[in-house]
Amino acid sequence: MQKLTVFLIFTVVSSSLAYLDSDGWLNIELHHALSSDPSKFSFRGNITVSSLTNGLANDDQNTLTAEEKQSIIKLAENNDFYRVRATVSYSDGSKNTFLTSTKACTLVSSQLTDVFWVSVDSNGFVTAITETVVGQLPGKICGSGEFQPSDLVEFTSDVLIRQMELGPIPDTASFIQKVEREKEARDKGEVKDNRSFFAKYWMYIVPVVVLVMISGATNPEAGGAK
Amino acid sequence: MSKSVVLCLASILFLNSTLGLYEDQIKKFDWKLTQIGKVNNAFLDLNPYQQNRLIVSTEENVIASLDPLSGNVQWRQILENQPRGQLKLIQMLVDDSAPKTAVRHQSSKSPYDILTVQGHSPAIVRGWNAFTGNLEFEWSLVPLQTETAEDSFWFHGNDMNLYHVIPNFGSHLEVTEYIANNGNSKGTTSKISASWIQKDKCLISGSYYICLEGSHLLALDLTATSPQILKKVVPSSPKTSLKAVRGVSGAVSLDGFIYSFDEKEKLCGDKVSGQSLLKAFQGDESLLVEADLKNNVLEISVKSVESCETWQNVKSTVQYPSHNGVPEVLAFSCRTNRQNTKVCSFVLTTEDEALLYVQGDKIRWAREEALANVVSGEFIDLPLSDSDGSIEDELKSKPGNENDSDLFGAFSRRVVSQIHLVRSIFLHVLGLGPAPTATQKAGLIRDAFGLHKMLVVLTQTGKVYGLDNINGKIHWSNYLRSVENFNNGEEMKLIVQRTSKHFPKQPICTIITKSAETKKGVLFSFNPITGAQIGETNNLNYEIQQIAFLPEDTTEFLKAIVLFDHNNQVHVIPENYKKQADGLYLFTANKKSAILNGFHLKFNEKSGQLQPQPIWTVNLSGHGSTQEITSIAAKNPIEHVHSQGRVLNDRSVLYKYINPNLVAVVTQGLDNIHKFVMNVHLVDVVSGSVVFSLTHRKVRGPIKIVHSENWLAYSYFNDKVRRSEITAIELYEGKVQANSSVWSSLDAPPMPLVERQSYILPFSVEFLKETITERGITNKHVLIATSAGNIMEMPWFYLDPRRPIIQPNQPREEGVLPYIPELPFIQENMINYNQTIARIQSIFTAPSGLESTCLVLATGLDLFVTRVSPSKTFDLLKEDFDYYLIAMVLVALTSASLFVKQLSARKILKQAWK
Repeated sequence: MQKLTVFLIFTVVSSSLAYLDSDGWLNIELHHALSSDPSKFSFRGNITVSSLTNGLANDDQNTLTAEEKQSIIKLAENNDFYRVRATVSYSDGSKNTFLTSTKACTLVSSQLTDVFWVSVDSNGFVTAITETVVGQLPGKICGSGEFQPSDLVEFTSDVLIRQMELGPIPDTASFIQKVEREKEARDKGEVKDNRSFFAKYWMYIVPVVVLVMISGATNPEAGGAK
Repeated sequence: MSKSVVLCLASILFLNSTLGLYEDQIKKFDWKLTQIGKVNNAFLDLNPYQQNRLIVSTEENVIASLDPLSGNVQWRQILENQPRGQLKLIQMLVDDSAPKTAVRHQSSKSPYDILTVQGHSPAIVRGWNAFTGNLEFEWSLVPLQTETAEDSFWFHGNDMNLYHVIPNFGSHLEVTEYIANNGNSKGTTSKISASWIQKDKCLISGSYYICLEGSHLLALDLTATSPQILKKVVPSSPKTSLKAVRGVSGAVSLDGFIYSFDEKEKLCGDKVSGQSLLKAFQGDESLLVEADLKNNVLEISVKSVESCETWQNVKSTVQYPSHNGVPEVLAFSCRTNRQNTKVCSFVLTTEDEALLYVQGDKIRWAREEALANVVSGEFIDLPLSDSDGSIEDELKSKPGNENDSDLFGAFSRRVVSQIHLVRSIFLHVLGLGPAPTATQKAGLIRDAFGLHKMLVVLTQTGKVYGLDNINGKIHWSNYLRSVENFNNGEEMKLIVQRTSKHFPKQPICTIITKSAETKKGVLFSFNPITGAQIGETNNLNYEIQQIAFLPEDTTEFLKAIVLFDHNNQVHVIPENYKKQADGLYLFTANKKSAILNGFHLKFNEKSGQLQPQPIWTVNLSGHGSTQEITSIAAKNPIEHVHSQGRVLNDRSVLYKYINPNLVAVVTQGLDNIHKFVMNVHLVDVVSGSVVFSLTHRKVRGPIKIVHSENWLAYSYFNDKVRRSEITAIELYEGKVQANSSVWSSLDAPPMPLVERQSYILPFSVEFLKETITERGITNKHVLIATSAGNIMEMPWFYLDPRRPIIQPNQPREEGVLPYIPELPFIQENMINYNQTIARIQSIFTAPSGLESTCLVLATGLDLFVTRVSPSKTFDLLKEDFDYYLIAMVLVALTSASLFVKQLSARKILKQAWK
């Protein structure tokens, strides 16, 4: 009972800054801890990232058995963590194991919709895999209400690649350019201001005139009173 | 151009708060302790002809001259750091023609007074003038083989020449003789075959090379024309290590026995009765000094070598402070007083790194040299005075307490407190009764602005001091014996478990450290105001891996300590706080493997145990596991962020990304293509998510990092262009805020927008620290300690990553300077003005009671305490504020207006009669 779902292609938001030496692929094997024994993990599925640069990934996950559904609901009721162990295999055959967890109740209330953030360094090696739950269904807020096995159908997972970015260097080039541009402008001479005297300085003249007018208007009255 | 320059200047003028001091403010808000480090060699020169002096060399590679009367530094030369500057030899010149004093007589024609030899590749030989501390000559020696030269040593022969010895362990010794003041070698290198020499089992004593070989001591006189191996039998399993006897050539002590190989040297028996022994000349007489510590009484006796009898009845019995530990006599000197008896002075160094000067039966002065190696500093509020305390009591009404809520109760408390106040006037102001506590007698009472604090300083040796932050007086000290820093160079911790805000409960500070012997954890609690120990020293039976704290509880106001041991077990101290640790998140980081592990603590009701559940793993080791963690920077837990956002030029708000769980992790490693690679990761340590990462290529350490609010700044050395640079990062949530009241790392918080920029620094950085104030309203400045010994207060708007490269006709944002790649070196922002702080290691900051003011402690070889006001002292009147003038003006105006009113009333009356 395996089902293949191909998920959306996601390009990293700041892809212009992201930096990767060379493209590569990854295979991530997921195991989740459902039983009371904290060191016991059972197989959940596989994620294959075929290209790190453009974030192409597809996953292949088991449908949950009734027993597994019950275990997840039990975790949610105890407000426990739903923990996932991810084993990453690289193209050169090396392997790395990561652990990530999310609150079981948020996972249940989102009907098993989760996102895997895969952080990779500049050589394409994974630094962390983080499982998060994005949206919770309305009315299924964590800690309130009961959970039904019917809420849980199958895992719907997105895979997002988070790449490392290249550190900034002091931007001397554009600063020098700017200085040179300004120097050029000065050499050519400032742009001739062809406006008339009044057009240039009206903002100073108007208040003075207004002031004079006001004082002129008040003075005669004072003179008249004398 | 001119327009933009004017703009630039104007913005700098308006933005830049002038921070410089006025001349009359020098040393008003700051003080400095000049330290030299633990003394390991001393030469005392008391003679009637010249100024007295005490010449010392220290473990910090410092040579200095102290005034024997006061212990003040006359001059100090700070030599190169380890390992390049490792002080291998310091020799005072002993001139045969002049009286045998430590320092050259004025008539001496010798070209130097003090000779030092440092390092091995190259070895630097220097001659110094003892009176001025000036360098007289210098030469260096580059060894042929650097590997063997590392173990090389030097000694000064009786013929005034310098001998350089390179041991080739397991085979032979190479000895070369040099003329001390010019470095010319005398003759060729002689090879002495000695297959029995081993590393760590041999030492040099005068001109003798002595090794412990099984149950034998083997020695060679290196100055002899044909050296013979001398042998002595010792007990086969010695308890102590081999130690050379000071002032003697060819003598070592082992297990309390002395073994002398030079027949000319008399030592009066082969058993040491005291703990410390020294042989020295006094005039023409050769004397032995023995010091013995019994029940806090130090007995120093002087014997003549000729007769082995007590010399001239010289004996000192000193009341010795127990916290100083075991002393060692370094130097002594005597002079004849008017009654024609001898008065002797002894210089001792102690286990806790103090330098004592004993004269007669008294300690004349002591220098606390442990302060040259500070690992942690905390500013603690002083207790309230009695009257303030009762007012505090009166105002403090606990909501749960019924007696407090009713009107009558409040009234009666008020009457009682006023009676107390009246009583205290009679007792203290009129001087009828004694001050109630010792701390109040010492003037340790909180001031109105909270600027006067107790500065608790923890040092590397395990000594804690309580210093007054206003004048630097040492109020108390405690010494924790045989403790050391944690693994990976992680320093021991000084934490405040209860602040002094909770009167009448006493404040508690705790030191968490590691035992040097068992490598297990040690906890030591004390009252930071009095220095008194609270409870017993807690010797734990496990090694500490990670330390965390619980939030302050509401009844005892105590912050409990959560310890994570090496078997990933959780312990809470005190025990009864275990239940409150339920739901706590912890993380551990492995420096070598660059793996971070996150845990969630769960309290098991049945077993009463805390169980850590691993919840995340982050692996930053990268390609081929080359990266190692070099630095981790979290935010200051007491920090408040006052402003949630930043106003842009279109009047919209850019909200700050303020994640209290965010920690910056710096990893460094080598790379095949880019040589040195440095990565900076921002990790949310609750969810284990890597929020943001940056990589820098061809960048080397040392990395200094500061992390606060929504920003991060780190400095490093750019290997490609060979200069120091600093990168600033700011994180923003965007124009809308996801949840303004609660932050949860687990509920998929928004990803931040990251602003970044790098700047060139005109200096190299030793430490970075942000200023902190009580409510976080005041601007944050970054304190930059430079390698030249300055501390620069750099306003954040210079480091701001949003500084734009301005295009003409572009709208400008308020408070944002145009981008200039190089940061300025602003002279008036140097908070230590001309008081250079030698070898700055770290800076500690703490808020004061005033919002505008932040207290600063800078440590290194020297100690410097000051206060800074990043946004100027907006909540304080200027200190030259003229109270009299304003009072006079007020009085004059009021009386004038009354007088004029009278006049006008009279005038109106007169007019009415007209």
